[in-house]
Amino acid sequence: MSQVLLDIENITVKFGGVTALNNVMMQVKNNEIAALIGPNGAGKTTVFNIITGYYQPNEGNFKLDGQTLLGKKPHQIARSGLARTFQNIRLFGDMTALENVQTAADGLNKSGLVGSLFGVTRSRKDEKQSKETAHELLDFIGLDHRAGQLARNLPYGDQRRLEIARALALKPKVLLLDEPAAGFNPQEKNDLGALIRKIRDKGNSVLLIEHDMSLVMDVSDRVMVLDFGNKIADGTPKEVQNDQRVIDAYLGVVENDS
Amino acid sequence: MDFSVLTSEFVSLTFDGIVVGAIYALVALGYTLVYGVLRLINFAHSEIFMIGTMTCYGVTLLLNIAADTDPLSPQVFIIVFTLIIVTAAVASGLAAVTLEFVAYRRLRVMRASRLSSLISAIGASFFLTELFRLLTDSKNIAFPRLIDKEPVLVISSAYITLDKILVLLGASVLFIVLNRLINHTKLGLGIRAVSQDENTAVLMGVNVNRVVSMTFLVGGVLAGAGSAFYMAFYETTKANVGFLVGVSAFTAAVLGGIGNVKGALVGSFALGLIQQYSSAVLGYNWRDVVTFIILVLVLLVKPTGLLGEALQRARV
Amino acid sequence: MKLLSFNLRDKFGDWWDSSSLLQRTIFRVVLIGIFFALPLINNPIIDTPETSFESVLFYPLIMFAIMAVGLNVVVGKSGILDLGYVAFFAIGAYTQAMFGIYTDLSFWIVLLLGMGFAMIAGVILGIPALRLRGDYLAIITLGFGEIVRIVAVNTEAIGGASGLSDIPPPPNINFLEFSVQETRSYYWLSLVLFLVLILGIVRLGNRKPGRAWEAIREDEDVASFMGVATFKYKLWAFVIGGAIGGMAGVIYASQVLSIQPELFTLNLSIMILACVVFGGMGNIWGVIFGAVLLGYLPEKLRFLSDIRILIFGLLMVVMMNIRPNGLIPRKKREKISEKLK
Repeated sequence: MSQVLLDIENITVKFGGVTALNNVMMQVKNNEIAALIGPNGAGKTTVFNIITGYYQPNEGNFKLDGQTLLGKKPHQIARSGLARTFQNIRLFGDMTALENVQTAADGLNKSGLVGSLFGVTRSRKDEKQSKETAHELLDFIGLDHRAGQLARNLPYGDQRRLEIARALALKPKVLLLDEPAAGFNPQEKNDLGALIRKIRDKGNSVLLIEHDMSLVMDVSDRVMVLDFGNKIADGTPKEVQNDQRVIDAYLGVVENDS
Repeated sequence: MDFSVLTSEFVSLTFDGIVVGAIYALVALGYTLVYGVLRLINFAHSEIFMIGTMTCYGVTLLLNIAADTDPLSPQVFIIVFTLIIVTAAVASGLAAVTLEFVAYRRLRVMRASRLSSLISAIGASFFLTELFRLLTDSKNIAFPRLIDKEPVLVISSAYITLDKILVLLGASVLFIVLNRLINHTKLGLGIRAVSQDENTAVLMGVNVNRVVSMTFLVGGVLAGAGSAFYMAFYETTKANVGFLVGVSAFTAAVLGGIGNVKGALVGSFALGLIQQYSSAVLGYNWRDVVTFIILVLVLLVKPTGLLGEALQRARV
Repeated sequence: MKLLSFNLRDKFGDWWDSSSLLQRTIFRVVLIGIFFALPLINNPIIDTPETSFESVLFYPLIMFAIMAVGLNVVVGKSGILDLGYVAFFAIGAYTQAMFGIYTDLSFWIVLLLGMGFAMIAGVILGIPALRLRGDYLAIITLGFGEIVRIVAVNTEAIGGASGLSDIPPPPNINFLEFSVQETRSYYWLSLVLFLVLILGIVRLGNRKPGRAWEAIREDEDVASFMGVATFKYKLWAFVIGGAIGGMAGVIYASQVLSIQPELFTLNLSIMILACVVFGGMGNIWGVIFGAVLLGYLPEKLRFLSDIRILIFGLLMVVMMNIRPNGLIPRKKREKISEKLK
């Protein structure tokens, strides 16, 4: 049964004189991989910044699983089920891979400082739990053998995957991936596609921003197109590929070589 | 709290406030220019100013003008003072360029964290202060009275003396020169470009290292000139003079909007006036607390300052 | 020098990892024993000219160490540059002075009060200031430190410029006598509190708060995207750092017996900062090492003492340019053996 998880309603964002997003509406349903594409500067990352609470929109609202998230702080939104990765990898470089994921996993428990200090039972349980969750996620993503390595010493591909594992630790209802395939070779892109599908099959929806068209068309259930802050298309990959407006604005003729 | 002083001495306080503000402005410009270009608070800029004051004193030593000699005749004064201000400006300018090269350049090239740059700046500031404290044996340095300070003009309660006129005239000239530099020269263009967007400036062919060095040089020269006016007006200095003058100048820069050249001027005059008025009402020894409180308040309430630029947020 | 400290750290780390609980316990006991025994050792090699070694152990050594650990939570672990740390030290000292002179409250209660007031100050300063970032925050903390000092100078009620004297020492505990000549008792008292402190801080560091603080230091925005309540944790870091500074202040005042505002200058804040920076930002053992080194050497090498601040300043510039992570960086040794069983 399909239900709307992430509901973005009429979001308008203006930075000074520039309208970054103009009355944008979009939705992500459960068990769905949706993609957000468009030329550079179209406003894609701005969408992520708005729904994760980094900026406030000038107008509009957004909800996750019926709960209004507008006005909430980033860490509250993260705990409510929206977690993201970043265009330029932003890991906690001087912390180990395990600690990176564990920090996010910590976000879900309510243990506080005093509890941690005095070693109360709940605190110790939470500690054990977050560590296990972190190991499981690292294992899921194929990085458990590097758990003790510092994040900044990991190879590029592993860093990108670690970011995904970290975001997954928040048990997001919708996982937001910002150009996860940047810098990957075709093989790595295939693996990434498989990973994204695995994530969807495990129960998380995915909203991804990506420039690599073959990956997008291959993996997405639905594609939404932004151009200069306006949504100009929203449909299956096939529909979008053939949409004249999209071709004019962005795609040109798409080579489908899968 | 004595408000009657405020009313009876209003003109005098206002005039003095503007004079002091002019001196602060010359130092504040250094903070604001460097911040604009590097987004770094040059903690050691106060010591660049202090070095200027010490240089002024050094020149009087070389010229054999002792602290208790009679004021000079106008013609001699002009020559002597020109010598002093030029030497101080050069000394401070060179000190500033050296400071950038030794304490900041490597960190900028390595793209080190802001924390590292700040700590390096603080270390440099402390090193220089201590160095001069040891050199001066922690003593106050007395500067000779080079010019007669009998009031030339008296307006209401204000005693307008030659040294104050000198400060106002000299500072005005420097502001005009700076304005030309920033707005009508290639260097000024480079400074404005790097302040706006360093990456794009590099792509447009701007030599950022050179712009940064020159910015420090300009800031240093202005501070050096300011130090000469300071010495003419206050006639004393010590190793840690940089700290208090620096705090005032920095507060002025923040008050006006750090990174904003016009803001540095507005903030400096505003602070000069506030300091004079509050000293009259609260007593002189609360002046520094007032300055700190203003600094803290501005940072808390309106960190962008009166004319400020928008505080940059990291793009995510 | 660089290779040496890295090798030592790694060799020690390897040994530690492979050693049993018994071995580790013995190591700890021996180490602690040595530190307790220090005031009793009368050896010209470690003796300091001019001031007695015993008194140096108390101030600056253990006092610096305590404060460095406190400041480390703020600056080293969380990345919040605090330039006014001396204010907390001053608040603790003045609390001991005022309550000690004018009331009959027991030393231990005053100790808690001192820490409490410092924590309150941390909250008052932190709530507005921690909304800002980097440089602006640093400036505000500096302003705060200076305001505290200038207010102290100008407020006759707490002694004004001449300060307060006849501060009572702590009450004798069993055989431990606290008197001006016997600084060793103060040292031992501080050492005990210091060990308790370390236990607490290390524990916090290994758990959720420690990770939250480090994440904030690494990338504050991303930390909040990952569910870390950044403001709350920054405030906690500030408050904990303040409490520790306050604790040091109370003990210090009870030893020097008279305090003046000039004792609590920006210089002292910078010296503690230098310990944190020098030893290894974020690494508690490095920071302690830094405090010991920077406290002991200027006393041992008397000619250094006069130019102590000169050296601190130079050190900070050099350290940041060459080894921004300090002598014994917090860089964790990679534990390749971490795996889910």
